[in-house]
Amino acid sequence: MSGTGSPPLRLTVNGRDHDVAATPGTALLTVLRNDLGLNGPKYGCGLGECGACTVLVDGVAARACVIPAGGVAGRAITTLEGLAQEGMLHPVQRAFIAEEAAQCGYCLNGMIMTTVALLARRPQPTDAEIRAEFARSLCRCGAHVEILRAVHHAAALVAHEAK
Amino acid sequence: MTPPRAALPRTRDDFHAARGVLVVVRDPPPAVPPARGQPPTVPADPAEGVEILVAVWDDGSVTGLCGHVDLGTGLRTSLAQIVADELDVPFDAVAMALGDTARVPNQGPTIASASIQISSVPLRLAAAQARGWLVERAAARFAVARDALATRDGVVFVAPDPARCVSYGELVAGGHVQLELDPTTPVKPVALQRLVGQPVPRVDLPAKAAGEAVYVHDVRRPGMLHGRVVRPPYVGVDAGDFVGNSLVAVDEASIAHLPGIVAVVVIRDFVGVVAEREEVAEAAARALRVEWKPWPGVAGLADVKNALRTNPATRRVVAERGDVDAALASIAQPLTREYLWPYQLHASIGPSCAVADWHGERATVWTGSQNPHTLRADLARLVALPAPAIEVIRLEASGCYGRNCADDVAADALLLARATGRPVRVQLTREQEHLWEPKGAAQLMQVSGGLDAEGRALAYDFSTSYPSNAAPTLALLLTGTVAAQAVAFEMGDRTAVPPYAYAHLRVAAHDMAPILRASWLRGVSALPNSFAHESYIDELATAAGVDPVAFRLRHLDDPRAIELIAATTRRANWIPHTAPQGQGSDGNILKGQGFAYARYVHSRFPGFGASWTAWVADVEVDRVSGEVQVRRVVVGQDAGAIINPAGAVHQVHGNVVQTTSRALKEQVPLDARGAPEAREWGAYPILSFREVPVIEVVTMPRQGEPPLGIGEASSVPGTAAIANAIFDAIGVRLREPPFTPETVRAALGVATPAAAAPALAAPAVPTGSITPVRRRRRGAWSVAAALVAGALGMAGALLGWRPALAPVGASDPSLFTAAALSRGREVAAAGNCAVCHTAPGGVTNAGGRTMATPFGTLVTTNLTPDPDTGLGRWSYAAFARAMREGISRDGRHLYPAFPYTAFTRLSDDDLLALYAYLMAQPPVRNEVAKVDLPFPYGRPAIAIWNALFLDPGAYAPDPTRGAAWNRGAYLVEAAGHCGACHTPRGALGAERGGGAYLAGAMVEGWEAPPLTAASHAPVPWTEDEFFRYLRDGHTREHGSVAGPMAPIVRDLASLPETDVRAIATYLASLHGPAGDTAAVARSLAQASRGIAVDSEAARLFDGACGACHHGGDGPVLVGRNLPLAHYSSLHSTRPDNLLRVILEGVRDPATAQIGFMPAFHDALSDRQVALVAAYLRARFAPDKPAWPDLESAVARIRAHPTP
Repeated sequence: MSGTGSPPLRLTVNGRDHDVAATPGTALLTVLRNDLGLNGPKYGCGLGECGACTVLVDGVAARACVIPAGGVAGRAITTLEGLAQEGMLHPVQRAFIAEEAAQCGYCLNGMIMTTVALLARRPQPTDAEIRAEFARSLCRCGAHVEILRAVHHAAALVAHEAK
Repeated sequence: MTPPRAALPRTRDDFHAARGVLVVVRDPPPAVPPARGQPPTVPADPAEGVEILVAVWDDGSVTGLCGHVDLGTGLRTSLAQIVADELDVPFDAVAMALGDTARVPNQGPTIASASIQISSVPLRLAAAQARGWLVERAAARFAVARDALATRDGVVFVAPDPARCVSYGELVAGGHVQLELDPTTPVKPVALQRLVGQPVPRVDLPAKAAGEAVYVHDVRRPGMLHGRVVRPPYVGVDAGDFVGNSLVAVDEASIAHLPGIVAVVVIRDFVGVVAEREEVAEAAARALRVEWKPWPGVAGLADVKNALRTNPATRRVVAERGDVDAALASIAQPLTREYLWPYQLHASIGPSCAVADWHGERATVWTGSQNPHTLRADLARLVALPAPAIEVIRLEASGCYGRNCADDVAADALLLARATGRPVRVQLTREQEHLWEPKGAAQLMQVSGGLDAEGRALAYDFSTSYPSNAAPTLALLLTGTVAAQAVAFEMGDRTAVPPYAYAHLRVAAHDMAPILRASWLRGVSALPNSFAHESYIDELATAAGVDPVAFRLRHLDDPRAIELIAATTRRANWIPHTAPQGQGSDGNILKGQGFAYARYVHSRFPGFGASWTAWVADVEVDRVSGEVQVRRVVVGQDAGAIINPAGAVHQVHGNVVQTTSRALKEQVPLDARGAPEAREWGAYPILSFREVPVIEVVTMPRQGEPPLGIGEASSVPGTAAIANAIFDAIGVRLREPPFTPETVRAALGVATPAAAAPALAAPAVPTGSITPVRRRRRGAWSVAAALVAGALGMAGALLGWRPALAPVGASDPSLFTAAALSRGREVAAAGNCAVCHTAPGGVTNAGGRTMATPFGTLVTTNLTPDPDTGLGRWSYAAFARAMREGISRDGRHLYPAFPYTAFTRLSDDDLLALYAYLMAQPPVRNEVAKVDLPFPYGRPAIAIWNALFLDPGAYAPDPTRGAAWNRGAYLVEAAGHCGACHTPRGALGAERGGGAYLAGAMVEGWEAPPLTAASHAPVPWTEDEFFRYLRDGHTREHGSVAGPMAPIVRDLASLPETDVRAIATYLASLHGPAGDTAAVARSLAQASRGIAVDSEAARLFDGACGACHHGGDGPVLVGRNLPLAHYSSLHSTRPDNLLRVILEGVRDPATAQIGFMPAFHDALSDRQVALVAAYLRARFAPDKPAWPDLESAVARIRAHPTP
């Protein structure tokens, strides 16, 4: 525990409650990675600029590197690891694999999580809407073409499976 | 599920000791004699024995081993295809081992697109040889001739009788067979290949998409610690006397307050901190006080071109034919040109990371390095161990395109692990990666040549200056293990020889040492060289009046090049032309098409040719804004045989995107010292999704030819194709990438669109000022009387006339009614007692917070009922006297930073309720320092002050106003003491009266904005807006609360809604009628859209802030994206609040919905913060004058952070 006698920080991640020893000001990203052992969200900039650390907070995309963990206590946090249902990858994950929408894959977490959040809001986004949504999601390897395809593919898969 | 045996062995010995395996090995190739000016090659250590290339296991699995690594290029997949195809096993039977020094062959660094072209060759031979042995074994078993056998899916069978078959596993079972690699082994002819040439899905992506892949960043070891490094002030420079010699002192006491610090490690200029938790290591690296010698900076980099011209160089002619000098002397149409390439970044998305463990005589390092064997040699040198004693385990990392900080951080981790004896993970920060990564070097290309009388290119005299080397691993230099000398490399010659048949040709490389720390970046020196070749020949074509493609073809004799160019231009609908066309231009949008061609020649001169590549780029140029959009790129490529067509296309896509980014946007900004200034993505923007062109790939069918490097090769002609397309669009030649809007505007001679605002529609704010009048201002007589009383009071104070009130026993909380306690809680909330009386991280109301005042620093007192250190012995009478008169129980005057001038207005009932509430709280023992300000501000002077400024007595309602207004006025004036922050103070520190009441003031470095009609808010305040702002902490028309107001809003949450509404009623009454606020908001939006000019500042804002702050055309993220034009901080006369929010962020917002903002303190320089602030002011408050001297304001605020 944190040693100051303060109560542990309780976070709800991927449907489970976790008490962690971090101080409330610790970045959510650090807590997810180091206290909960989750590898999906990645450290990219610590400034919310690149999107590699993206998670969902109550279903909305959030950049975990700029959020103090204490600030999202009690809210539903979802990471890449929490997308699969009953052992089956989320359709967005499957679409990204099918389109080979990554090179090194370091930004992949952010691209997938951003897509999940986007499709929850706009099930059939236009190409312009996708590009706007990803305008500040950075990829250096240049997998953009495949990522754009993957988002369209994912929208189709999600729609199909909802039927 | 049992894992396949192929995946298990970690070391060579594991292979050698295994049974049930066939291995193919080779003797390590003899050490290559060191070549001058080339990347270091590290010879194999004979003590490590033979190198293993392929292992076939008795469970049917196969290990392939390669010294090169997968950088996200799909190499792991392609190599597995080669092995599986050559061996005739199922694709998924192959597990590739890449890069780990304890098991894979030493094949040097993974550079120059050479992995498939060169490093896969022995692997393929070994697989073929293993298959040959298996067939031979089977032939003996079935007693048939070898020719009678065939192989498929890991089985050897008798071709005419497939039932007679045996699996590879059975053939190797029980034994251990080792074959020496026979380089003459025949490999499969193309016609028999089943996997090579087929699209195969990348093997690594499913785990990556599921979050199951383990990158080097994800390595966790038992007992692992977290480290951070502190880098010296000579940012991004690695040669000079100061390197390794600049540290003066490290003050470990400066981090003594942090829990769980394990070590501070200092070795000359190497400084690292290690902690149990990562966030503590991070905080420690930030807080550690390190004193360095001053560093003067890099001279001359303000003019990069001149710096390259004058950097000491050795001229090395690499190619010469004909008589260039004679040809130039007689040339009909001479053309002399210079092309300048900027410093660029690898810009890996993930800052480098490594983990190291120290076992005394041995060490293990987990790394994402591109050259594990070279790194191992560096590490061995750093810690004086033999190289084989260090096991370098290579994991995937964020994409790298040459040499980022991956090796640096591995060395850092090893030093910290050695110091602590535990595994240490070191993560570089984004700032460190940006600043310190070995840059892709600036490069200067100079060409003299021209046309003969017939319009043919006659001569080509080319020289190239490339200031780069191998960028020695930083820790070696910082610790003084290796002298930090400026060593020149001979690497500027890649693709330095143009592909055209110039009759008279001379190519010279000016070999020179780095100026900034530099090393290879994708298209090492070739990308700039080709940019010059392909721009120049376009210029020649225009001069000759010939179509640029036709002109090139006249000077090309390579049939593969000619075929490629034909196929590519056909697909792209190339329109031959002899002058800029500007085809299909529309209004301000000019369109152009450009062509370029190159064959990437890499490695030590004369090097190897990789694929042939041709680009046709279609661009649009906005002739007003200067923005260039690359709309479509058609890339033709002849890569010989292609292993994985899907992977090849992805690689080409990636290279088109990255090259377009480098051409349009990328340049390392340098500060006044000549040091790199970009520490985040705003200052070094890369291509965004919005800007990605349509990409079409034309692949030449060459399956029978040897495979050639694909990815990097496809980037090489890109920049010239874009420059040539811009020329086609606007008729102006750009010779210095990046082609930013400023560059294009300058080339076109277009003035920067004025930032002057379109006139703001006059806001519908009714004028007619309303002066809030605080009641009961005194007349002259009462002031005089008060002075007399004060003088008497002071005399009394000096003589001790204000009596101490007797201490009492602790109050019994059970005597207070629930109603009293509840009301007291509300009064405490309205009064925000806890905001001042709680120390950071301390217990609520236990005091100890320091408060800076113009007269000195005070410490707030303990309000809990602790008998010795708090209010436990205070009677109600003593409490009421303190609140109403500012006299402490012991008779001393309280300083008026405690706002008793407001609290005196509390009603008797509220005062009693507050007393009851405070006495009912748990006592907390907390002795706080008693502060006495120095003369003349000592406590006795307060008596006079009180006589002048204290007007004791409860609030008297204004009978002309309604109940809500009076309730609001009471809350604002009494408990709320809003004026304490929002009313400016006079010279003696008292709130000023009259029109100054609530007219705005500075508090603890923040501006408490005017709450009256003097408000800076561009959209007029209304009662409703005040209510929502105080209730939610944000509104669409006024933005969000920040700074010291955030905790106030949090406290107000426990007030009844009617009370907050009453405050709003009162505050709104200080303003005139608001009019049509929606119309004002619309006109603000209109005005701010009109001046969004692309500039360094706009790009900084976009990159650093644009994910959260945008006009609806960006991502939706948690938190409120409120219109910046509505924030009063942007319209104020002072920039302080804006600058504080940028530097310090919003870590503890008033309400959760507002969201969080990072502090840009460490990521932006004073100049950059000033630039962003000036941009925001000009864009969102265009009717306001620019803030003067912003950079000093940033420095001032940086020096005085919010406590």
